[in-house]
Amino acid sequence: MTILAWLFMIASVGFVTGLMIWCFWKVLGHHGKGD
Amino acid sequence: MDERPAAPSASPDDHQQRWGTRLGIILAVAGSAVGLGNFLRFPGNAAENGGGAFMIPYFISFLLLGIPIGWAEWAMGRYGGRKGFHSTPAIMGVWGKGPFARYMGAFGVLVPLVIYFYYVVIESWCLRYAFAYATGGIGVDPGATVAAQVDASRAYFGEVTFSAANGVMAEGGVHASLWFWVVTFALNAWFVFRGLSRGIEKFCLWAMPTMAVCALIVLGRVLTLPPDATNPAGQNVLAGLNFMWNPDFAMLRNPQTWLAASGQIFFSMSVGFGLIINYASYLRKRDDVVLSGLTAGATNGFFEVALGGMITLTASVVFLGLAATQANSGGTFSTGFFALPVVFARMPAGDFFGAVWFFMLFLAAITSSLSMLQPAKAFFAETLGLSNGRATLFTTFICVLGNLFVLWFSKDLVALDTLDFWVGTFLIFVVAGTQIICFSWVTGLQRGLQEAHEGALMRIPRFVGFIMKYVSPVYLLVVFGLFCWLEVPGYVRTITGSDGSPPDKVALYAWGVIVATIILLVTLTAIGARRWRAAGLDLDGRLPAPDDDDEPGGAR
Repeated sequence: MTILAWLFMIASVGFVTGLMIWCFWKVLGHHGKGD
Repeated sequence: MDERPAAPSASPDDHQQRWGTRLGIILAVAGSAVGLGNFLRFPGNAAENGGGAFMIPYFISFLLLGIPIGWAEWAMGRYGGRKGFHSTPAIMGVWGKGPFARYMGAFGVLVPLVIYFYYVVIESWCLRYAFAYATGGIGVDPGATVAAQVDASRAYFGEVTFSAANGVMAEGGVHASLWFWVVTFALNAWFVFRGLSRGIEKFCLWAMPTMAVCALIVLGRVLTLPPDATNPAGQNVLAGLNFMWNPDFAMLRNPQTWLAASGQIFFSMSVGFGLIINYASYLRKRDDVVLSGLTAGATNGFFEVALGGMITLTASVVFLGLAATQANSGGTFSTGFFALPVVFARMPAGDFFGAVWFFMLFLAAITSSLSMLQPAKAFFAETLGLSNGRATLFTTFICVLGNLFVLWFSKDLVALDTLDFWVGTFLIFVVAGTQIICFSWVTGLQRGLQEAHEGALMRIPRFVGFIMKYVSPVYLLVVFGLFCWLEVPGYVRTITGSDGSPPDKVALYAWGVIVATIILLVTLTAIGARRWRAAGLDLDGRLPAPDDDDEPGGAR
């Protein structure tokens, strides 16, 4: 597996996973606090 | 399910429809977005269009089209709901301030409805495959050569999909696939009849985590696969990941790559379908839409890139080798339905992993198909003044007709493919374009962002406003132009005939189905507009929305 393939895979998977975790952390952090 | 005070509304049972929790609507929208495209279409698309380099136009489309237009849909839907509307034509009429946008909004019902005509059929294939694996496999001989196994796999696919000839399903009694279609269809109708919080939301709260667990089980197995002794050296997991992710930057100069990336984003994120508008219309004024929209989009991205992008092609390379994987990775169905059954036949406990894989695909598909039925049901309820039960029945009737058309004209899947191209691709660009123009230009960006920020748990960054007003429409127009240039002529030739060959009759029939559905939806929109005006509803968006600050509850 080439270094570029590793880079693209880690960056892409990392970006979507990190974004999803951050979003759910924010959503669940506000859960039940009211609007 | 909490009830809200009776307010002017276009549909009789409107007060009974409400999301139960904030997490519920996020998972419902994410469930609608995560579908077969994430696991079947994305890997093949990426591998064919530059591998890792494909992720550059993919993320650009995600940031310039998917997220901004998604936010616009969320905001437009919630505002429309406060006006008493839940159907895309009515809500588009409010944001587009008149009949033109309202009738363009009819395409926002056409898209999910016609996609449902074939999508639920594919969904029933997944259920049949899952059932077959759970009860002993699909008959691919583990000891045969790869070529023989691929042939066996294709033969089974042909038997499941009736792709050998038209009308096969009616020959020699009731075929097994029809029973799976009946079960799948009935499940969809039942959950939609149950309503938002008791049906769709409750199901998605269970189905989404289950889907993630199933995907992680298969991913864990794929990433720990030992090299297959019968294949040449070097065909291991890393070679599979390399096939998927190694960037070919030359592909970025090919317009087809950019078209594939934006098409993938639209189809996968359910943007331009008209269904986010419908789902968001059941929110209250102070329910967040910005963070919810981003969360749903990010969840879809996770399922697509981190799970879909790691499983299918990797496993295929390990067991089939690079050449066979390349031969079977084009098209939506090839990897999932031709290559993976061979992989399952060659791996230990393959029947178990096959059952898990296809059950996960079934869950991904049903959470999406539910979201296609709901906008149609809301539209029929609003335009004809139907109760929940009658609207479900009417929607079911229309969908049975559409499904039977796809099931009957099954030869080479031409009917399915024609509907998918014109409605599931072409019209999505049209609906998305209409939405972003109405949001950013007709009603105006400032008003749109102000609406989106009501109750928002995060603010839309200022530069995104610029993207929504200028970049998204122009980018969309360019991509649509490319699409018309590169893709449309081939499909037009199937209808008109070319080089002396006659037109494809089934493609023409599929066009007939699309036109008949458009006539039905436009007529009902006209009937609905008359009803809404008579009921005193603000269908042209001339008045401010009623302030519902004092309403109890909301999606928490």
